[in-house]
Amino acid sequence: MTPTGEVRHVEPPAAPSMDGAGVALAVRGLRKSFAGRTVLDGLDLRLRSGEFLALLGANGCGKSTALRCVVGLETPDGGMIHIHGREAGAARDAESARLRRRTAMVFQQVHLVRRRSVLDNVCAGALGRLPLRHSLTPLLFPRELREEAMACLDRVGLAARAAEPAGRLSGGQQQRVAIARALCQRASIVLADEPVSALDPVAADQVVGLLAELAREQRLAVAAVLHQPSLARRHADRVVGLLDGRVAVDAPAGALTEADLAALYAADRRPAEQEHR
Amino acid sequence: MDVRTPSRPLAPPRRPRPSAATGVVVTVLVAAHVLAWQGTEFSPAALVEGWRGMADFLGQALPPDLSWSRVLSPGIRAALVTLAIGLLGTTLSVPFALGLALLAARTTTPDRWAYQAGRSILSFLRAVPDVVFALVFVTAVGLGPFAGVLALIFHNTGVMGKLWAEAMEEIDLGPRDALRTNGASGLQVALHAVLPAVVPQFVGLLLYRFDVNVRSSLVLGLVGAGGIGFLVNQSIKLFRFDEMVTHLMVVMALVVAVDQLSAFVRRRIGA
Repeated sequence: MTPTGEVRHVEPPAAPSMDGAGVALAVRGLRKSFAGRTVLDGLDLRLRSGEFLALLGANGCGKSTALRCVVGLETPDGGMIHIHGREAGAARDAESARLRRRTAMVFQQVHLVRRRSVLDNVCAGALGRLPLRHSLTPLLFPRELREEAMACLDRVGLAARAAEPAGRLSGGQQQRVAIARALCQRASIVLADEPVSALDPVAADQVVGLLAELAREQRLAVAAVLHQPSLARRHADRVVGLLDGRVAVDAPAGALTEADLAALYAADRRPAEQEHR
Repeated sequence: MDVRTPSRPLAPPRRPRPSAATGVVVTVLVAAHVLAWQGTEFSPAALVEGWRGMADFLGQALPPDLSWSRVLSPGIRAALVTLAIGLLGTTLSVPFALGLALLAARTTTPDRWAYQAGRSILSFLRAVPDVVFALVFVTAVGLGPFAGVLALIFHNTGVMGKLWAEAMEEIDLGPRDALRTNGASGLQVALHAVLPAVVPQFVGLLLYRFDVNVRSSLVLGLVGAGGIGFLVNQSIKLFRFDEMVTHLMVVMALVVAVDQLSAFVRRRIGA
């Protein structure tokens, strides 16, 4: 951020047109407050297919809330969310539900059903497109779905563990299963909310690397909230830094400066009176 | 610096004194017990004075009548009927309890009206004692164990539905949210995220209710709904206290066996 407080925006050398095709997710003027505390204050964000975007920012700056609004776990107070060019409304109508099925979320706490097998957990990603008669129990999942889920598991390198209860895998492996579940959902946009905050450095690097590969190989639009700038620099194409519910930095990962980071994470140490302005 | 010898001793905070509210609560509790003592005509003196009646009763009851063909064998057969009433009453209430529990848990039912409706039905079924249900069903289907099974199905649906709903409300909501975001319907979320998480609690509560239901089917026998309770009642009415003691011994064996079985299974599944 510059001293005047405006967004430090660095255009990549050969950026495709921002309004052109390839924009998978566009968020404009997103607002959300909880009990009078403004968390999102007019957030603008664009995410292209095939791009891996890292979201950085201090705790409470609105990164998670923004992702939760996109997938429909929170209802924004204002603003627009466009998924592949179509507006996903706040209402739970069929069109919005169908659009939101293109987005998948990966959580910090993984949120697998620990007692069910790895394969059943991955198959559950497809529930949104399965009729009830094929989804009353995992025993009724069609054969094609189970094969597709095995392919997804193979992509994250865990096909050999398919029959084990999900709770028996390590944290990093569970997170990769959650990514396989997102693949099985056939999502074109994958949002990851602090996917590696609970993982050791090696597992974290593996998971973030996997997300980056999926963005490049399968042309997925991937946005991940990260707390380690080094991971963002190593794997992401672009870094967006949030401060007080707005975009403060938007730059190619290679152009991210120490000054940018200092500005983003200074928020936690501001004097109290400034916070309550 | 050595923490044990600070330069300036730090005064530990004082414990707060008991508040006025604590005094009020204690006073109300004491008063309630005094009133209850009077209301129930509680009188240790009457119990001491009545020792002769107790002695007479024990004199008639002991030794128990253990004749096989006349007392013990019918007693055991009736105890098996009691067990069967408890078993069917528990198992047949499972589908109703499950449906109402899904309706009466916020985790699975976001709609406020449906949720309240589910809660109300469960409250009603729970509020009516199984003995009252048994009396109603005896008038409908006549004396016998079938009335007992019906009574248990109704009452147990209320209790088990409530316990299950509470178990579902206590789960980690993460897996539920994860499936909601991929477009799963409410029922799919319940089947694939909520229910798998509560299976051990459900089985544990089911076994606990089976245990309770076997014991209450004894009481149901007293009002004519079959089983060994019916024989106990008959012995009392005929002043055959030695037979009654034999039946009670059979009951005790049954209750202990069911309790041990349910405790064993619950330990194994870790519920």
